[in-house]
Amino acid sequence: MAELKINGKSINVDVEGGMPLLWVLRDELDMTGTKYGCGVSSCGACTVMIDGVATKSCTFPVASAAGKEITTIEGIAKQGQLTAVQRAWIEHQVPQCGYCQSGMIMAAEALLDQNPEPTDMDIDESMTNICRCGTYQRVRQAIHSAAKLRANEAELLG
Amino acid sequence: MADQDKKSKKGKWGRRAFMITGGVVGGGLVVGVGGMLWVNHKIKQYTGEGMGAGDSLNAWIRIAEDNTITLAVPRSEMGQGVYTSIPMLIAEELEVDVQKVKIVHPQPESPYANTFLLTGQPRNVYKGMTLMEKIASVLPVVGTGGSTTISDGYDTLRAAGATAREALIMAGAQRWGVDKSECYAEDGHIINKTSKEKLTYGSLAADAAQIKVDKIPTLKAQKDFKILGKPVRRLDIPEKVDGTAEFGIDARPEGLLYAAIRHPEYLGGTIGSVQNIEEVEAMTGVKKVVVLKDGQGVAVVADNSWRAKNGALSLEVTEESNGHEGLSTAGVAAKMKSVIANNEMIATPESEGDVASVIASEGNQLIEAEYLVPYLAQATMEPLNCTVHVHEDRADVWVGHQAPSVIRDKVAAITGIDGANVTINMKYLGGGFGRRAEVDFVIKAAEVATVMKGTPIQLSYTREEDMRYGMYRPAVMSKFRAAITPGGDIAAWENKMALQSVGHSSMMRIMPSQAPDPKDDPMSSEGAAHLPYAMGSRKVAFGDLDLPIQVGNWRSVGSSQNGFFTESFIDECAAAAGKDPYVFRKNKLADHPRFVAVLDKVAEISNWSEPAGDNKFRGIALHKSFGSIVAEVAEITKVGEKEFSIDNYYCVIDCGRTVNPDTIEAQMQSGIVYGLSAAMYGQITIENGKIVEGNFPEYEMVRMNVTPHITTHIMEMDEYPTGVGEPGTPPAAPALTNALFAATGERIRELPLVKHGYSFV
Ligand code: FES
Ligand code: FES
Repeated sequence: MAELKINGKSINVDVEGGMPLLWVLRDELDMTGTKYGCGVSSCGACTVMIDGVATKSCTFPVASAAGKEITTIEGIAKQGQLTAVQRAWIEHQVPQCGYCQSGMIMAAEALLDQNPEPTDMDIDESMTNICRCGTYQRVRQAIHSAAKLRANEAELLG
Repeated sequence: MADQDKKSKKGKWGRRAFMITGGVVGGGLVVGVGGMLWVNHKIKQYTGEGMGAGDSLNAWIRIAEDNTITLAVPRSEMGQGVYTSIPMLIAEELEVDVQKVKIVHPQPESPYANTFLLTGQPRNVYKGMTLMEKIASVLPVVGTGGSTTISDGYDTLRAAGATAREALIMAGAQRWGVDKSECYAEDGHIINKTSKEKLTYGSLAADAAQIKVDKIPTLKAQKDFKILGKPVRRLDIPEKVDGTAEFGIDARPEGLLYAAIRHPEYLGGTIGSVQNIEEVEAMTGVKKVVVLKDGQGVAVVADNSWRAKNGALSLEVTEESNGHEGLSTAGVAAKMKSVIANNEMIATPESEGDVASVIASEGNQLIEAEYLVPYLAQATMEPLNCTVHVHEDRADVWVGHQAPSVIRDKVAAITGIDGANVTINMKYLGGGFGRRAEVDFVIKAAEVATVMKGTPIQLSYTREEDMRYGMYRPAVMSKFRAAITPGGDIAAWENKMALQSVGHSSMMRIMPSQAPDPKDDPMSSEGAAHLPYAMGSRKVAFGDLDLPIQVGNWRSVGSSQNGFFTESFIDECAAAAGKDPYVFRKNKLADHPRFVAVLDKVAEISNWSEPAGDNKFRGIALHKSFGSIVAEVAEITKVGEKEFSIDNYYCVIDCGRTVNPDTIEAQMQSGIVYGLSAAMYGQITIENGKIVEGNFPEYEMVRMNVTPHITTHIMEMDEYPTGVGEPGTPPAAPALTNALFAATGERIRELPLVKHGYSFV
């Protein structure tokens, strides 16, 4: 039995401690926004944030997630208000098939949290997710836009 | 919407137990559309499931009293944008705001047949159907592939919108007691020209559904378009940024169990026996081990995908190699070499003049080259999966698939349930690329679900099973000879290929009755025969390989290799003639102004005539596929010995009239990245009868850090629209390898580039 904190809510799950967090989310909790792509930490489709750090949930045992703040794609919009990253994604019409996009967005959120004004080099280094549809160019543009949106919002909030 | 069955999470309409009766389908409007034959077959062929046909205006359009407009999208959304482009085509003539419509995926029935897939020709909506179109409708062929959605639907969908609009106008005229010429349609309303009164579509829909429009109104001219040809925000994107978009793998019907599968590891192998069924069934969460028919696999059913996978990995099985344990990549290449060397050609799709004697004649320069590409996996981002619930007398299927009409029949055959009682719940496809036109994962899911009758089963391949149980783009060898005159003309061109037939292999699985003999497979030589260049005598032929390797459709199919082969060898011809590769091509396209226009444009936007700059090099390629002409220029920088950065791609497409230009741009970016992944890294290798690569990054993809900046230009045309989803891919590889030739003098005749020691930053 593990007590998880997912998107601000406490949830108890009764599974083997070695089960990767991804499968707890998808199959035990029916939170299907987080995707399976490879299961070996290579593609990034399963990216969530654990204590604010972008983490590949397909290889992260649920036991190690206990007590930490887990944020998934379902939990980033607050009170129905999309985040700057999500809005930039719509603005730039990023997704194609869309399957990799939850992971892409989570990786972008984490990047911008740590580095509010990433350069192209920074983006290259931290955005290692695979998109088989090749949306990379728009992902890059959207991250730059989101950085500006976030900066403007921060200014408005004083 | 009282008849709406809200059993699925997204409120998509489920099965409805009624049949269409009377002389019309769903009201009366469809009768006129394209002389739709299926009207005569409506009871058998069209129940209107998913479109609530009772009060719909026709098979594509339903307007509720509260003004909710629901449009049918019978094609599969796999990233290429049909979820938006189909509504755009209907909305243009229906005069409604495309951002406000609701979308439903209907059951795969006759009105939704993709006749273009079978005929390669658009339908004439003002005439009756041709025999082939009737066949496509009666079967029906409901599928998404070959970049055909727009070519198939461009006129028919606009006609559906126009006909419904006409009925609404007539209903408004009736209501006001005026002539219909006194009324017009605008933004979801019928307006009375004189009184300026307005009626909503919703208030007229029930009346309009009873009106038969016997002539399809004239469709708008391009200059009058309000929606088509302008960038429109995709309707599927909002749910693809907040995690709510449902792919096949996200189906969660009540009581769902998950299944993982172990396929035979040998190509053409079979599983003999399973030694430890009881042991595996005792593992945590495991419910059952199901041995599939004909040794084709063993499935483990559990209450969680991970537990199912662990069960599958724990299976101890014996496997028969069926004599294929010696199969290897090198062996396949040797076979191809011998087919070509021994001239074992089974078909000659193009032959003009006497190539042999021109090549033998003196004075011309003879050049020869042998090209080779490997097997490739589609590697859709969403691993293959299908969810099936077998009930006593019906079955429900949740899946992302390119051919819903085919899988309905397959599920019916496996489960023994009448196809009319098999419901396909079409989900988003996490990539298709041809792999989701295959039926293996659906058949296996249906087999397991039949054993587990009463319980919904989601069968997913792990990434490893997805990659190793492939329907690959075939490995292909292509051997060229050309004679170049002293003046730099191509006097003769010969291309002999060796490959397995994709059409034969895939259709034997998908629809055996339609499977072509390998010699009749047009896909083997597509993009290799009938090139636009002036070439004097020419001969294009291919031979077959009999191998236990399943080959299938892979984005751009034959053009995926033939674009690379021909555009590389043309470049070799240009070099042999001592000509600039752009000028050389252009000079040989005198009779093809559309090709020239595209080529000129790409030269212009890439500044081809200016020096590229220090350590910078360019390569060019031009290829027509799926009706569209695409030219690409790659611009690269040499950063070290065999180390390059791919800085820019310039891409120009002529696809006739455009529907959603923003999607076309996205598809060009997508097609180029897909082609580059193959050029740089892609290879499925065979050793000792088994596939080597099982996951990323052994089968590596282009990622953000190596992606070039892509500039796309779309030619403004007033021609019938052609494909967009695939044509961006074929020129990507040769544009890059031609640039590498410019940089290094090394001609790359075998992909992928990593094999030659190249690396990219
Ligand atoms: S599924 Fe976790 S990185 Fe690919
Ligand atoms: S949008 Fe399809 S994999 Fe990224």
